[in-house]
Amino acid sequence: MLKKLLKYEWKDTSRLLLPINLAIIVLTILGCSMLSTSIFDSEASIFFAVPLLILYILSILTFSSVTIIYIYVRFYKNLYTAEGYLMHTLPVTPMQLFHSKLIVGCSWFGLNSLLTTLSFMALGFAAGFHQASTNINVDTININLDPSASFADIFGYPLPTFLLWMLALLILSAFSSILMEYVSILLGQQMERNKLAASVAFYFGIYMVIQIITSVAMMVPEFITLSNTTDEEFTTNFLSETLRMAFPMMSIIYLAVGIAFYIICRVLMNRKVNLD
Amino acid sequence: MTLLECKNLTKLYGKHTALSDICLQIDGGHIIGLLGPNGSGKTTLIKLITGLLSPTSGTVYVKEEPIGPASKSMISYLPDHTYLNKNIRVQDIIDFFADFYEDFDSLRAYDMMAKLQINPRQKLKTLSKGTQEKVQLILVMSRHASLYILDEPLAGVDPAARDYILDTILSNYDENASILISTHLISDIENILDEVIFLQDGMLHTHALVDELREQDHKSIDTIFREVFKC
Repeated sequence: MLKKLLKYEWKDTSRLLLPINLAIIVLTILGCSMLSTSIFDSEASIFFAVPLLILYILSILTFSSVTIIYIYVRFYKNLYTAEGYLMHTLPVTPMQLFHSKLIVGCSWFGLNSLLTTLSFMALGFAAGFHQASTNINVDTININLDPSASFADIFGYPLPTFLLWMLALLILSAFSSILMEYVSILLGQQMERNKLAASVAFYFGIYMVIQIITSVAMMVPEFITLSNTTDEEFTTNFLSETLRMAFPMMSIIYLAVGIAFYIICRVLMNRKVNLD
Repeated sequence: MTLLECKNLTKLYGKHTALSDICLQIDGGHIIGLLGPNGSGKTTLIKLITGLLSPTSGTVYVKEEPIGPASKSMISYLPDHTYLNKNIRVQDIIDFFADFYEDFDSLRAYDMMAKLQINPRQKLKTLSKGTQEKVQLILVMSRHASLYILDEPLAGVDPAARDYILDTILSNYDENASILISTHLISDIENILDEVIFLQDGMLHTHALVDELREQDHKSIDTIFREVFKC
């Protein structure tokens, strides 16, 4: 039955989320095409380059926000409004319903995050490649890096390991973010009245607590790095040392938070539903 | 085997008692009217049987199965409002039901749609409210379920549509199955009922055979209802 639930969950969510993700791809291709031409080479181009950049960033942010909000609304609407009368009377277990939403929600969230990251990277590479190929001298940002430093020297890991870490963080982040949405809705459903308002309040409450924990946890590797780094080493070592500690730490935080949310969701889903 | 059994079923909403100590047994092959004034607990009882609500105390069994996937596979439920995603096509909803309910008869569903001249390729939102309700009824009655639970199937539809609905119900349920119908429109369904259940203030007032009640009081069920629940 989980397979059937997944099939319909994919089908229903694709109606909105597939065009959104395709739009990111189209936007990226357009951006890269524009950056590889010489239309931004002159100083006068700043008057249309800046609005275009703002428009691109706003579009990407909107696509990400719509994805997050849609997954949240979909879970609530499909299980706890009129549609819930159908879903909760299907011959399936509550956890099968939950897992279908979790798998599909995480997949869309992960895909959206991946495409957003790749979009930024692609535009960065396109701009860099064009700059290098046209020999434009841009020295407004003076980064004091050793020219012989390798990727691993700067970012703490060889490129393949770095990308694997990024992918792992992306998956774990999707897992914990979607579960945070679902746990807030399920907690809201435990209220006698104003369940939707309670769900939203729970979401922002949990979000703030998680942000504080993450921020405090992220300061630890930075402080450790700062205390062990001399001024001379600072520029070269700071980023690599910080990332070397931050990636595992972030992974542990996302995983721990995700597991905690999953256990809460499991308990709440298995308590019998009380639809108004 | 008893089809439906409710044992000491109680549902509280805070301090308010929606249902109190309901004990019921329903066998197969009957059409049962679930009757009572507004707020008497009809919908609460139905939601407890379908698993949409959890009881404060007591238990419900469908063919000796507690409420869960097994009991849900035996119940075909029509709620008192539209519960389908209106952005999808009728044929997609039929596919959905056929996928999840082994007892769903797609041919019967398409046949009934054709008789009503409903185009399965149309999205639900493009149909009138009355037609949407008919689509729901067709889906529910296209199953070969053991227990059909219909919550206010006649509410808000014109007399001609009522006849169609009753005809659909009567001509599409299996002999061994039972139908539990909740309604205020007693006179419309009185002739098809075998049993009635009267609920009053969340308590079971009467559970009897229709013929016995009529012979005992020499009145119609509609008249008995009006006398019992006189304001």
